[in-house]
Amino acid sequence: MSATSPSTVGEESPRILSRELVVILCVLALVLLLALTALLSRLYHKKIHTLADAMFAQGEADEQAGQIKTALTDYRNALAYNPSNPLFQFHLAKALAAAGRDEEARSYLLNLLSESPGSGEVNLELARIAKNNNSMADAMRYYQGAMYGEWADDPIAMRWQVRRELCEFLLSRGAVKQAAPEVIALEENIPAGDLARLKIVGQLLLRTQQWARALEVYHTLLAAGPNDEDSLAGAAQAAFQLGQYVMAMEYFDRLPRERREQPDFANRFDMTRQILAADPFLSGLTAEVRAQRVANALALAQTRAENCARQTGQSLEQAPPRTDLQRVYQQGKNVQRDWTPRYLERFPDRLDAAMAYVFSVENAAATACGEPQGDDRALWLLGPSRSVVNP
Amino acid sequence: MHAVFTLREDRFFLMLAVLIGVFSGLAVVCFRLAIEWTQITLLGPSLSPSFPRVVLAPAIAGIVVALLAIHVFPRVRGSGVNQIKAAMYISDGYVPFTTVIGKFIACALAIGSGQSLGPEDPSLQMGAGIASLIGRSLRLSQEKLRLIAPVGAAAGLAAAFNAPISAVLFVIEEVIGTWSAGVLGAIVLAAVSSVVTMRAFLGPESLFRVPPFRLAGPGEVLAYAALGVAGGAASLVLLKWIVYARPKMQALPRWTEYFQPAAAGLLIGLIGVRFPQVMGAGYAIVDQALHGQFVWQLLLLLAALKLLATGFSFLSGTPGGLFAPTIFVGAMLGGAVGSIEHHFFPSLTATIGTFALVGIGTLFAGFLRTPITSVFMVIELSGNYTAILPVIISTMIAYGISRAYQKVPLFDLLARQDGLVLPSIEERREMTSFVVEDAMRTGGVLVAEPGEHIVEVAKRAEANPEAALLLRMRPGEWWLLDREDVMRLAPDAARTTTPIHAKSKGPVPYLFRDQSLAEALQVMGDWPVLPVASRADLGKLEGILTLADTLHAFRKTPKEE
Repeated sequence: MSATSPSTVGEESPRILSRELVVILCVLALVLLLALTALLSRLYHKKIHTLADAMFAQGEADEQAGQIKTALTDYRNALAYNPSNPLFQFHLAKALAAAGRDEEARSYLLNLLSESPGSGEVNLELARIAKNNNSMADAMRYYQGAMYGEWADDPIAMRWQVRRELCEFLLSRGAVKQAAPEVIALEENIPAGDLARLKIVGQLLLRTQQWARALEVYHTLLAAGPNDEDSLAGAAQAAFQLGQYVMAMEYFDRLPRERREQPDFANRFDMTRQILAADPFLSGLTAEVRAQRVANALALAQTRAENCARQTGQSLEQAPPRTDLQRVYQQGKNVQRDWTPRYLERFPDRLDAAMAYVFSVENAAATACGEPQGDDRALWLLGPSRSVVNP
Repeated sequence: MHAVFTLREDRFFLMLAVLIGVFSGLAVVCFRLAIEWTQITLLGPSLSPSFPRVVLAPAIAGIVVALLAIHVFPRVRGSGVNQIKAAMYISDGYVPFTTVIGKFIACALAIGSGQSLGPEDPSLQMGAGIASLIGRSLRLSQEKLRLIAPVGAAAGLAAAFNAPISAVLFVIEEVIGTWSAGVLGAIVLAAVSSVVTMRAFLGPESLFRVPPFRLAGPGEVLAYAALGVAGGAASLVLLKWIVYARPKMQALPRWTEYFQPAAAGLLIGLIGVRFPQVMGAGYAIVDQALHGQFVWQLLLLLAALKLLATGFSFLSGTPGGLFAPTIFVGAMLGGAVGSIEHHFFPSLTATIGTFALVGIGTLFAGFLRTPITSVFMVIELSGNYTAILPVIISTMIAYGISRAYQKVPLFDLLARQDGLVLPSIEERREMTSFVVEDAMRTGGVLVAEPGEHIVEVAKRAEANPEAALLLRMRPGEWWLLDREDVMRLAPDAARTTTPIHAKSKGPVPYLFRDQSLAEALQVMGDWPVLPVASRADLGKLEGILTLADTLHAFRKTPKEE
């Protein structure tokens, strides 16, 4: 109706009653329809929720029975009746991921994440998918989201588990430096007395080459269980890497033979034995034995230098010296002649200088010709531990 | 309450729109519940029904639907959009209430039993029917009765879609055809109130859970352009099939109408044995496609099978809507195109779900030819404005392809096949609108000033014997001088005689060059000539317009085919 003809409903009196009646009837009809709709809606929702829950329960049962394909159908059916249920969506996504359908799972999870960005569970699943797809950046992002996200049950334990999973992921990708601080954080968040987690952290510390921390952890573990094989093995490895060969040998000796002879331990055990057999600085040695060990080391170093020079086609007598090996060799060659067992026994103050020369030759040869093997390796490994003890 | 009845009718109409919206919302809620109940009862609760159910349910329901459509509710066939247009343009807004009941029962049975149709168009018709009943009962004026059907239609569609903006746009774009201020407010109110009502019972969630949308760079737009081409082609397939097959189906003997829905149901059931996804409205399947749940081969197959199944259902005369199947095909096609593009261009950041979402709008634009609704529907469904660029590009390409190879839009075509001559909104939208500029003359006029000596004016008039004489009294006030009187006064004029002393008519209404000729004709009345003034300076004359000029402009325009 245009503004220029403002007809009003009230202008025609017969209409007023008619419209009033119609509107009242409309309102009555509306109330009836509202009641009917409410009833139908309630019955319907009850029905579909029952159906959805039943299908979801069936899906969970199928999933537990390892029937992922059937579980997927069940979860989909459940979602068809309750499409916005985040629990159903999450389980469907997990089942999809378990079935290797990462893209589909990711799609559901991203949807869930957009609704609850702080969800630890969703972030963790996304991180796992990213991990499977070798997407380092995404995996890191989602693992961080999961670690700092919300967890319904036991959030501290869940966050610890997530961080552990992140460490495993980083180590599997060779990102040792990135993993190291996470392992430390793990260690710091272990509840007092939780030896199982401490053992896990010990292993992770070894894998992230944090030997001193690892040794500390294993000491704690061994204090609680002196004969625990894993702890003895871990402590032996940590002590060995720290150059504490006497301690390493102690732990190796306490390990059962079968364990000690396993390939990963056997080499280390043999090397420890060789190092200890070559070490002139061990306490309890006689002056003669000590001097003899130094003389043997000098002879080994001499041979190693010559072999290395031959291998690399250089002359040890080259003047002026051009390589480290030539320089080290020529510096020591004049005094070396005098370092006989008898001389060294008479002048024990020269032992340190003689061994320093040995270590220098072994290091220079290792740089020029690669890591040594056998007795040379023992001397080469002994050097750093000696420098730690006697810097 | 008396105050309500003494409101001016236009305000009363707005209040009525809210009432219509609530009624329509409730009706749509009941309708959707009825479809779900029917589906659970006939096909079972699982998304993959058992063999006997999947084959027998749509076929047997088809027979019942045919009996209802032939003997009880003869007006329930078709989607419902043309019925609303017919109500508006032919029967003064009259939509029989029996159609509402018929649509409700027949569509719930058909869609619930697995026929490949959707509930949106029937909801639209139900809303219109409810509105029409209320309007008639309240004895509204004929003008309002005519407009009340689209108001109800918008309410019904909004509730069915859970998308009020899309519903309003669709009704404006496809049913009314103009942005009439008189009815727009009522349509919006009805749509909003119906959605609010619907959400109170069925929850605020949109039809689908749409995954996050991200457009990484402008280069990705090309990927959506390819989707536009595919969507346009798919739209044409469905359109051409309906264009070809519908008259043939209508030409079949009348007795076959009893079996057509059943035959369609049986065929769909047979497809459904292996691909139950194509049965019914398929919202759950669209939802899965939006979450990248299918591989591209299956997506393409589902799109093709849905086209086939929808054709069977629609051509058999089974009552039900085309919106849901269009959405389904669009999502599957979009997902398939996205998957294929991902295969060849792995660096594409858009997910398969994103392509499926854009695909919905694309097919909507290509098949139903409502480009604005299509764009906004995707935005409204996704709740993400980022989608607008890809959607616009994709829908416009699909729309362009569809228009290029199928001149007449679907709903106009269906109306013509049914023997109705309803106004084509698309044609009306694209009709050339003439403006004053197209008809005005810049010459043939002399402008006199109030202080000018009349002899000077007469001299100029003598030099231009055909020119109209306008007197510029002040900016925005023009008078038309009597040429003969000017010429008469001039020979004996005193030094103080000016054009004001001559006979004149005025003030003359004036026009602007951008006004439509229809407006100009309204203003012209009996004036022989009207000045065309500048909007920046009302004292500046840009030309004049006469009735002859106006008619000449209309005549010289070539008529569009």
